[in-house]
Amino acid sequence: MPTPRRRRALATLALALALALVAAACGGSSGDGDKSSAQTGPRTMTIWLMTGSAPPAVVDAVNAEWKKAHPNDTVKVELQQWNNITTKLDAAFAGSNPPDVVELGNTLVAKYAAAGALQDLTGSRGEFDNNQAWLQSLTESCTLDGKLLCAPYYAGSRAVIYRKSMLAKAGIAQTPTSLEELQSASEKLMSTFGSDKRFSAFYFPGKYWYAALPFVWDHGGDVAVQDGGKWRGALDSAESQAGLTALKQLVDCCSRADKQGDELKQDQAFAQGHIAMIVANGWEKGVILDPKQGNPKLEKDLAAFPLPSRTSGQTAPVFLGGSDLGIAAKSKNQDLALGWVKLLSGNQFQTQMATVGGVIPNSTTLLDLHADDPYLSVFDATAKNSRFTPTSPNWANVEAANVLPDMLVSILTERASVADATKEASTRITDVLNSGS
Amino acid sequence: MSSIQGRRTASVVRPATALAGRTTTRRRRLAPLVPYALLAPAVLVLAAILGFPLYRLVSLSFQQYGLKELFAGRGTWIGLRNYREIFGDPFFWTVVARTIVFAALCVGLTMGLGTLVALLLRNLGRTMRTLVTAGLVAAWAMPVLTAVSIWQWMFDFEFGVVNWLLTKLGFEGYAQHNWFDQPLQGFAVIILVVVWGALPFVAITLHAGLTQVPAELEEAARVDGAGAWQVFRHITFPVLKPIFLILATLSTIWDFKVFTQIWVMLNQRPSREYFLLGIWSYSESFGVTRYGKGAAIAVVMVLLLLALTFFYVRQMLKAVGP
Amino acid sequence: MTRKRLHRIGYNAAAVLVLLVTVFPIYWMVATGFKRGPDILSFEPRWLPIPGTLENYRSAVGKPHFLEDVRNSLVVVTATVLIALALAFLAALAAGRFHFRGRAALIVMLIVVQMVPLEALIIPIYLSLDRVGQTDKLVGIVVTYLTFVLPFSIWTLRGFIVNIPEELEEAAMVDGCTRAGAFRRILFPLVAPGLVATAVFSFILVWNDYLIAYVLLRSPEKQTLGIWLASFTTNHGTEWGGVMAGSTLFAIPAVVFFLLVQRRVVSGLTAGAVKG
Repeated sequence: MPTPRRRRALATLALALALALVAAACGGSSGDGDKSSAQTGPRTMTIWLMTGSAPPAVVDAVNAEWKKAHPNDTVKVELQQWNNITTKLDAAFAGSNPPDVVELGNTLVAKYAAAGALQDLTGSRGEFDNNQAWLQSLTESCTLDGKLLCAPYYAGSRAVIYRKSMLAKAGIAQTPTSLEELQSASEKLMSTFGSDKRFSAFYFPGKYWYAALPFVWDHGGDVAVQDGGKWRGALDSAESQAGLTALKQLVDCCSRADKQGDELKQDQAFAQGHIAMIVANGWEKGVILDPKQGNPKLEKDLAAFPLPSRTSGQTAPVFLGGSDLGIAAKSKNQDLALGWVKLLSGNQFQTQMATVGGVIPNSTTLLDLHADDPYLSVFDATAKNSRFTPTSPNWANVEAANVLPDMLVSILTERASVADATKEASTRITDVLNSGS
Repeated sequence: MSSIQGRRTASVVRPATALAGRTTTRRRRLAPLVPYALLAPAVLVLAAILGFPLYRLVSLSFQQYGLKELFAGRGTWIGLRNYREIFGDPFFWTVVARTIVFAALCVGLTMGLGTLVALLLRNLGRTMRTLVTAGLVAAWAMPVLTAVSIWQWMFDFEFGVVNWLLTKLGFEGYAQHNWFDQPLQGFAVIILVVVWGALPFVAITLHAGLTQVPAELEEAARVDGAGAWQVFRHITFPVLKPIFLILATLSTIWDFKVFTQIWVMLNQRPSREYFLLGIWSYSESFGVTRYGKGAAIAVVMVLLLLALTFFYVRQMLKAVGP
Repeated sequence: MTRKRLHRIGYNAAAVLVLLVTVFPIYWMVATGFKRGPDILSFEPRWLPIPGTLENYRSAVGKPHFLEDVRNSLVVVTATVLIALALAFLAALAAGRFHFRGRAALIVMLIVVQMVPLEALIIPIYLSLDRVGQTDKLVGIVVTYLTFVLPFSIWTLRGFIVNIPEELEEAAMVDGCTRAGAFRRILFPLVAPGLVATAVFSFILVWNDYLIAYVLLRSPEKQTLGIWLASFTTNHGTEWGGVMAGSTLFAIPAVVFFLLVQRRVVSGLTAGAVKG
């Protein structure tokens, strides 16, 4: 047996294995259509859309249309999940090849824009369809220091979804047109159905801050205001407190929802049949009627009305949710990306987003697309009276720190008085919004 | 190189006298390289992927590093400011205390209950023992995400089995009860989930270890009138001690680092009352994008853990030798 | 009733309790996977999934790219386990059978590295991989998993090797075997339980992971099952039937793997550990 050779063989094998690994690790960046080098060959563009935002048919249609202008290039759409998306975005934008186009929740844009992740689109604004008629709040979410850093994509607004039969049974002939009427209607519902221990007239999960803000805004308050270049938390103002107190009154009498819970389960709960009203997005009707998680039999019994203001006849300002489309600053396919974004945010496909997807399109000119639909038109109407959260790059951090949900839970569970809870929240908001990095 | 090496080589050379001479000296020259060659692939992988990030982590902890810095690729050096901020923050001490208590409870319950189950297994009949072992293996094999989902569902506010059971048993107020409302209750549930997943491993391992315990000794002790606890303490446990120590140390390290269970159970949005060191580090890094501070917290966590497991590590080193 | 009988009943009762606590959640998960929507979200728990439905399973398996997810997960887990075994064994040999400068430091490093929270390293690892173009590649993620698996594996295997008396190999070498041959013929079979323990640990780490895969992979055809499982919870709420069905499917490979190796793991760990 050749002893020395054997031992050397072992050592060589070990080294070879190591080298192989290194080679494999380093050899991976060969052209699988990557976009790094000379822009002469066919290019691949990557798009990140969030799951559930656009109907697949619409995305396919956009891609097909885009292909006509760029026959040699490829577009790759990757769907991302919302959970932990900021971690993924942080890593992607920090790396060397971020996705070219990114769908960003409108409350997240400012954070990434301020950090230099997004391409400045101010110069190209004129090339977008309807750019003068874009929804105010969405445009605001895309603007930082006067520059346009993304294009509005779609919006979602909230109204009250209710069970017609329940309101009828409680003798409520007309849907409430003022906050006072909403309060009395809820109380009436509670007395009619209250013997059911699980019944809620106005189901409001404690952490549902999107639905709490309308009360604050309606009473003249706000989350934060700009005061000479600095932000100041404004939830502790008298007006804000009045709004939250009105909300608490409604919740105390008429909601048996989990005061510590969030709104993610409310549609499934609603479908169980022990709830009369919820504050919800338009698309939540689909979840309520979903055969797997909900109750399709409720279809004929559902309708919506806008959250009323304390001023009779007006609606409360709602929080306009939604997404924008941004182009990565480090993208090597700026031109391709711009073309794609123009398509998806343009007339043709926004119309499809509204009709097929049931969301609110990004422009006021398209808001009458749902005119024939008594349900969706309610939501479109509320979008016209919508507000947004402070457009500070640090707002995302306020959300991540759960300031608003924590405050609401304190108030609704009565762990703190409205005054104390709002004071603490305001201080925290001031801190975070003004913090350096 | 140690003389032991030389001696061994010498003893191998003797029979192979026919190949003596050139090959022997070559072997002697190559011999010292062998351990390094064997280590090379593993160390290479570790250094490449872990080495640099670890270095990065420590250096990040001395910098101010937000989103802007992340995208630009460079941060501002601020020395020990992150650390000073952490140590000066009363919240830090709360979180440290909470983490230690949480880990201690998890480890204590896992080891304690695990030992009891191991002892139980020893006293069962064949069929029962197989059944219980099968149940333990099934629970052990459950991936963490799956386990958290099940337990989350069982403790659900409206539709959970636990609430239903408690209501049926007559406890008021559990009809629609949120278990994560009070951190004390919430942590109880989380500890339950962690221990549920960790106990099988400990129980099964200890049970196997128990087979090493000489039954005659135990029998003799009992005949002499020793109670069950005394038999355990003086006869059984000393034999189990080494395994027990390893399991306890591993459990401490793993339970100190618990992240997923809390994160997922609280729907990716735990409130500050649920923060443990690992969660706080993640939240500082990715929640409020203060990567420098998040890194500093992680470093502190490692140092703390090192301190806690110091004795075992020292024992390890003694065994390893000079 | 004799004392012995009382004891017997006591033990069996305790056993039933343990069985209940360990098995009920699993039963609940499997059963929920077969229930219809209204039966899942019902205030009175339905103990048996009757009438049942396969709809949840259909929807779980029908998620886009499910088969690719399965393939990717299996590939990644197999690669990680096999490579980890090879590398860890070699390294453990070095650390357990040879004396060299830096050995103590290495062993301490192996333990210290296990104390670092995984989540803190995500971005630095992403950036390191990004530099060599290995993000969104299965090779990149295998290498990442390896780095988390190796320290524990080397440390454990070393513990095993140290407990096997060197005299056995020496005897073989006196009989004409080479060092390497002795390793292969004598040591390797004896460490087999340790190798199994390492394999199990590697499997758990990879199979359990969600965050690393989520951040490092982006192409839809490159996702793993961990990500697939998380996709049942969206901002539209959680699809409980799907989660339970998906979780059941997700757990099956793990359970199978465990059942196969369970006895070996334990015997190995105790044999290796008893001598400290």
